[in-house]
Amino acid sequence: MQSTDEPAPFPAIRLIFEHTGTDVRLISQQPVDVAVSGYDVHPDVRTGHYVEVRDAAGQPLARVPVHSALSGSTEVFPEDHSEPITRVDTPQQSGAFTVVVPASPAARRVAVIQVSHPEPGRPAIAARPTAAAPGEPAVTELADFALETGR
Amino acid sequence: MTTSDGAVLGITQISGDAPRNRAFNIVLLADGFTAAQQNDYDTACTDFVTALFGTPPYDELRPVINVFRVNVSSTDSGADDPSSAGGTGATARTYFDSSFGGNGIRRLLVCNTSTALSVAAAQLPQFSLALVVVNSTVYGGSGGSVGTYSLAGGATEIAIHEAGHTAYGLADEYPYYAGGNETGHDHHPAGEPSQPNVTLNSNRATLKWRWAVAASTAIPTMSNPNCTGVDSRPSPVPTGTVGLFEGADYYHCGAYRPEYDCKMRELGVPFCRICRQAIWNRIGSLATLPARARTPITALARYPEHLDVFAVAGDGRTMSNWWDSSSGWAGWFGVSGGYASPGGAGSPITAVARYSGHLDLFTVGTDNRVWSCWWDHSGGWSAWFHVGTLVARPGSTVNVVSRYTDHLDLFTTASNGAVMSIWWDAHGGWAADWFAVSGGVAAPGATVTAIARYPFHLDLFTVGTDNRVWSCWWDDRSGWSGWFRIGGMAARPDSGVNAVARYPDHLDLFSTASDGRIMSAWWDARSGWSDWFQVSGGVASPGSPVTAIARYSNHLDLFTVGTDNRIFSTWWDSASGWASWFVISGGVAKPGSEVAALSRYDEHIDVFAIGSNGLVYSTWWDASGGWANWFQLGIT
Repeated sequence: MQSTDEPAPFPAIRLIFEHTGTDVRLISQQPVDVAVSGYDVHPDVRTGHYVEVRDAAGQPLARVPVHSALSGSTEVFPEDHSEPITRVDTPQQSGAFTVVVPASPAARRVAVIQVSHPEPGRPAIAARPTAAAPGEPAVTELADFALETGR
Repeated sequence: MTTSDGAVLGITQISGDAPRNRAFNIVLLADGFTAAQQNDYDTACTDFVTALFGTPPYDELRPVINVFRVNVSSTDSGADDPSSAGGTGATARTYFDSSFGGNGIRRLLVCNTSTALSVAAAQLPQFSLALVVVNSTVYGGSGGSVGTYSLAGGATEIAIHEAGHTAYGLADEYPYYAGGNETGHDHHPAGEPSQPNVTLNSNRATLKWRWAVAASTAIPTMSNPNCTGVDSRPSPVPTGTVGLFEGADYYHCGAYRPEYDCKMRELGVPFCRICRQAIWNRIGSLATLPARARTPITALARYPEHLDVFAVAGDGRTMSNWWDSSSGWAGWFGVSGGYASPGGAGSPITAVARYSGHLDLFTVGTDNRVWSCWWDHSGGWSAWFHVGTLVARPGSTVNVVSRYTDHLDLFTTASNGAVMSIWWDAHGGWAADWFAVSGGVAAPGATVTAIARYPFHLDLFTVGTDNRVWSCWWDDRSGWSGWFRIGGMAARPDSGVNAVARYPDHLDLFSTASDGRIMSAWWDARSGWSDWFQVSGGVASPGSPVTAIARYSNHLDLFTVGTDNRIFSTWWDSASGWASWFVISGGVAKPGSEVAALSRYDEHIDVFAIGSNGLVYSTWWDASGGWANWFQLGIT
């Protein structure tokens, strides 16, 4: 299939982030020849953390979920599998996570965002929240970074 | 305890041969193995591969999974095991700085995730999942963006559970946070979880895994009578039953899981069906689709920048893929766990978009009953459900027409060949049951074609038991007409009749004669029916029908599989008449298969076919660039 835009030299970019709690830093950008599946780039809005690819005007081009990072807790597994798995809080845990985002020719920036359910009767509290209509998920931007697009 | 405490020795692929840019690539990283212990690491990696592919659905997905081991030597053997967390107090200088005792809990085995991700990306930029294998027989592991696990017996289960979170976004299905005696976890807070395997919704009609719930299964299937604790009663239904079991996502009540047990609830048990489907959809989407050889593909454009394609896999699974101009092809996924009838050429999935945010799908199932499901932008896929009580001819096609947005008309053949119909209307739902259309009987293997030239008019076509093409019509003023024969052509018994209305008072029909000649006839309101004529000398492969589309009112494009199984096209234009047949980009199809085509806008055609190797292929034509090369339809 064809696109009206010039194809990107690589179809995707791997991003590696480090974080302490929700303080996020982008430490690596790596063009990569790999498919980003529709399973990840789904169009509907769901709660969770995402890396959002944006164009020069700040419009979202794609959202890729960040699984198993920034959750604030960690699982502990029993040696006897019939015993319960448990979780422990790790609110200021340091770590790293990676996502592979589609390298649209129009992509200029990436943002780490949190999509959350609205709390009834009160607006979303966030560092840089986007406007959300009543009852719609609130989007909170944790950080944003320029992409080294090579163009 | 840094990268100065060892060295990356290299990467070796130990399982799979899928193209790395179209595969689920798992990278295993060694920690705490000295240079002399690399053979032990190699053995541990082999054990992981055995455990992974012994875990459904990974066994089915093996063709698109590559596993690599990255050999990394560490200065010391093992991992830190601090005494403050109940360990031995041992310290080890290792490359990824692995340590037991995270958060003061000995079994919590953590590593430097930043180093692990950087090494994985450097060794294999296309990696999908990174796991650190730690050289210790102390039981431990952890999840997150990098999974860690030790060499203790059963610790590979930690890696496979954690991959459920990291790679597929699965939720934990256990109904507690700290083992069940915690406070503050009696009732799940409001807000539907985004993960596919937990829900707060107990409505059968809108349940996110409703496609997998049998009508006979109670919803909820199991409710917790005491929300101050975990419901530890045994399951009231057989193992593997998909329903709604209260207690999930760290809460005793208010959240539900799909099955009584699942690897996302307890290590050492299989994944539940919903988690298996999520894993399948993530990894399977990277694969091409080996399709049932002669079963037609359906393609439609809900709007010009979007395509939805439906095909039946070789094992009968109902599959779909979509393309959007902004993101390319999404990859194949199973539609609501459905299976299509294998009779004849195999029942296809037929689809219609009554409006741009909605799809209705139909097929004949393995029980030879007619099934339907729908997709809606607001709620995703529904479950498959029976349409009426009709027992269809095995392998029948269900033809669907939407005369207007709130109405559907369905046509198919009963087990005795009778032409049958049923309708759905937004105001009254499905009609009581299927009815026979004017006593018509189709030849074995023949399909019923329907077209709506006006919202109040239908034209039907089929090949009768005398192998002649027959038609009848319905008009809301006069009801159903009787069947009448169109010309004297002897059609191939299993022929389809393709009908195109270039404008409301005109029909063009295409079919194949008994000797395979590609034939056409037309009807015009002013002059009536023409006789059949052969189109540009074309002859089709035995079993292959003719596909026709009208990009505008004075132009037709035809597609078929020729006797040499090459994929041919021709066109008709009112100014120049019929062109000669030509081969599209050298394409070769399965003998007897069908070519699907559609036009998203006037100067563009998308074509789909099953190639000689059994995989689904596509190409396109655009007025600005002519025909593109064929490509395997999978993920962009």
